[in-house]
Amino acid sequence: MKRSFGERIFDVFLVVFMVLMCVIMIYPYLNQLAISLNDGTDTMLGGITIFPRKWTWSNYDTIFSNESLIRSTLVTVITVICSTVFTLVVCVGAAYAIKKKDLPFRNAIIWILLLPSYINAGVIPTFILFRYLHLINNILVYILPSAFTFYNVIIIRTFLNSLPVALEEAAYIEGANEMQILYKVILPLCKPVLATVALWTMVASWNDWTTTLYYVNEPSLFKLQYIIQQIIKQSEVVQKMVNDSALTGGSTTVRARPTSESVKAAAIIFSTLPIICTYPFLQKYFVKGVAIGAVKD
Amino acid sequence: MNALNRKKEETQERLGSKSLLSRMKKYRFLYLILAPALILVLVFCYLPMFGLVIAFQDYDIIGGITASEFVGFDNFVKIFTMPKFTKAIINTVKYSSVQLFLGMPFPIILALLFNELRMIKFKRVVQTISYLPYFLSWISVVGMFSAFFALDGTYNSFMAAIVGESYEAKNILTDADNFLGILFWTNIWKNIGWNSIIFLAAITGIDPTLYEAAMVDGCNRFKQVLYITIPCLLPTIAIIFIMNTASLVTLNFEQVFGFQNIYIQEETEVINTLVYRQGILNAEYSLSTAFGMFQGAVSFALVCITNFIVKRVSGVGIW
Repeated sequence: MKRSFGERIFDVFLVVFMVLMCVIMIYPYLNQLAISLNDGTDTMLGGITIFPRKWTWSNYDTIFSNESLIRSTLVTVITVICSTVFTLVVCVGAAYAIKKKDLPFRNAIIWILLLPSYINAGVIPTFILFRYLHLINNILVYILPSAFTFYNVIIIRTFLNSLPVALEEAAYIEGANEMQILYKVILPLCKPVLATVALWTMVASWNDWTTTLYYVNEPSLFKLQYIIQQIIKQSEVVQKMVNDSALTGGSTTVRARPTSESVKAAAIIFSTLPIICTYPFLQKYFVKGVAIGAVKD
Repeated sequence: MNALNRKKEETQERLGSKSLLSRMKKYRFLYLILAPALILVLVFCYLPMFGLVIAFQDYDIIGGITASEFVGFDNFVKIFTMPKFTKAIINTVKYSSVQLFLGMPFPIILALLFNELRMIKFKRVVQTISYLPYFLSWISVVGMFSAFFALDGTYNSFMAAIVGESYEAKNILTDADNFLGILFWTNIWKNIGWNSIIFLAAITGIDPTLYEAAMVDGCNRFKQVLYITIPCLLPTIAIIFIMNTASLVTLNFEQVFGFQNIYIQEETEVINTLVYRQGILNAEYSLSTAFGMFQGAVSFALVCITNFIVKRVSGVGIW
C-alpha cells in the first residue's frame, strides 16, 4: 500500500522516538555498569557515561570480600527457591479446586480468597501478629505470608479453563482419581503458566527488601536488596557528613572523600545482573501472565 | 395441590443436603489442596484484622492486646490534629493524585505508538528494552538515579554542557520541591513499558474488520486510532483506572522511602513512611495502626465508589 507523505514523516518520527526512549530506559543502568568498572577516585572527577575510563575490578573485589553481602546472597537464593516452590503448590491447589463449578461453598471460598486483595490490616497489626507467631527474625517470614496471591490463582485458573474438558473426562473413565488427574494429566500441560507464576514469584522475592526492613533485624538473615538499601542509605549519611564539613569550612580534599559511589554501583549491578541477563529470553512467560490477567471472565 | 408441592420441595431439600455432603466427600481431595491457600489467607490476612482493635487502645507492649486500655477514638483525634500526620495525608494525596491522573495516559500512548510500528524485529527489541526498568527493585532504581543526579553525575555534566560556565552543579534530590517530579518521572520510567503490555494486548484483540471498514470509509491511520482503537480501549482503561484509585491514599512505600533522604525527609513524609517510622521504629503501635486503618478504609471506599460510578457510566466494573 502506498503511504502518504505525512504518514512517512510520522514513521520516521516514530523510529526516532523509540530509539530515544530506549536510550532513556537503558542509560542509567549502563552508567552504573561503567561506574562500577571504573576507578573510584577517577569517577569523582565526573564525566563517566557508559564507558569506564580507568578500568578496574577493585570495586567488585570490595563487594565480594564483604561477608554480609555474600551471606545475604545465599539467604536470598534459598528464599527465592523455597518461595517459588511453595507459591506454586499453594496457588495451583487453590486454582484447581475453585475451577470445579459444583464444589460446595465455592463462591464463599472465592470471596474469602479475593477480599484481602482490597482490604488489609496494615503493617503494625501484621507486625504484632508475626511477633506472636515467632516469625520476626525467622527466615519463614520471607516465604509464608507472600505465598498466596489471588492474582496468581486467577492466572492459573484461566489457563486451566482453556484446557479441553474431554481430557479430564477421559482420564476419569480410565479410572484415574482426582489426584492422578491433577498430577499426571493437568500439570504437565500447565508448564507455560507455571513458568509465568514461578518467574514472577522469583523476581518479586529477589527484589523484596521491605520484608527485611519491617520484620527482620538479625543481620545473618538480611536479604541482598536490603543490604543494597543499607549501602545506599549509609553512603547518604557519609555524604552529608562530607557536605556539612565542607559547608562549615572544614578541609576536605578530593582524596579524603569516601568513594562509596563506585562500590555502590558494583553492588547494584551485582544484585540486578541475574534478572537483567535472563528476562529478555524469558519475557514471553512474563508477558503471557499480564495478557491472561487482562481477560476478565 | 399445595401439599403435594410442599412435599416435593421437602424431598428435594433432603436430596440436596445429602448430595451436598456426598459432593463434599467426593471432592475431599480438592479441599485438601485448597487448604494451604485458605489457611494462609486466614492466618496472614484475616487474623491481623483483629489486631486493628489496638487502634482504639493505648497499646501496652508488654501486656499485649488483652491488657491494654481502651481509649475510644483518641488516636484518630490525635492523627487529625497533629501537624505531622495531617502533613503526611496532604503529601500522600498530592503525590498520588498527580501520579494517578497525569500518569495514566503515558502507557496508553506508548501502546498506541508500539502498535503503529511496522518493523517487527525493531518493535520487539524496543519493547524488551522498555521492560528493563520494571525488573529492577525500587532501591536499585534509587541508587542509579542518585548516581545520575549526583554532583559528579551525568545530569550535572549534561546541564553544564548546555548552560555553560555559569552553571552551578547541584543535587536536585536534596530539594523537597523536586520530590513530586522525581516520584512522577521515575514511576513513569520504571513502569511505562510494562504497563503498556496490557493496553497493547487489548489493542491486538480488536476486530480487524473494524479497521478494514474504516479504511473503506476513507479513514487514515490517525483517524483509525481516534475512532476505533481508543474507543475499543476504553473498557480496559476503565478497569485499570478503578484498580488504581486505591492508590490515591497508598503510595509505593519502596519508592518514597528510597528517594527520601535526610535533607527532605520531614518535608516529604507520606502515610506509609510515617506509619513505618512511628510504628516500627518508635514503637507507637496504637497511633500508627489508627493511621494505617484510616488509610486502608479510605482506599477501600475509593475503589468501591469508583467502581460504582464507572459501572453506572460505562457498564464496566471489577465486581
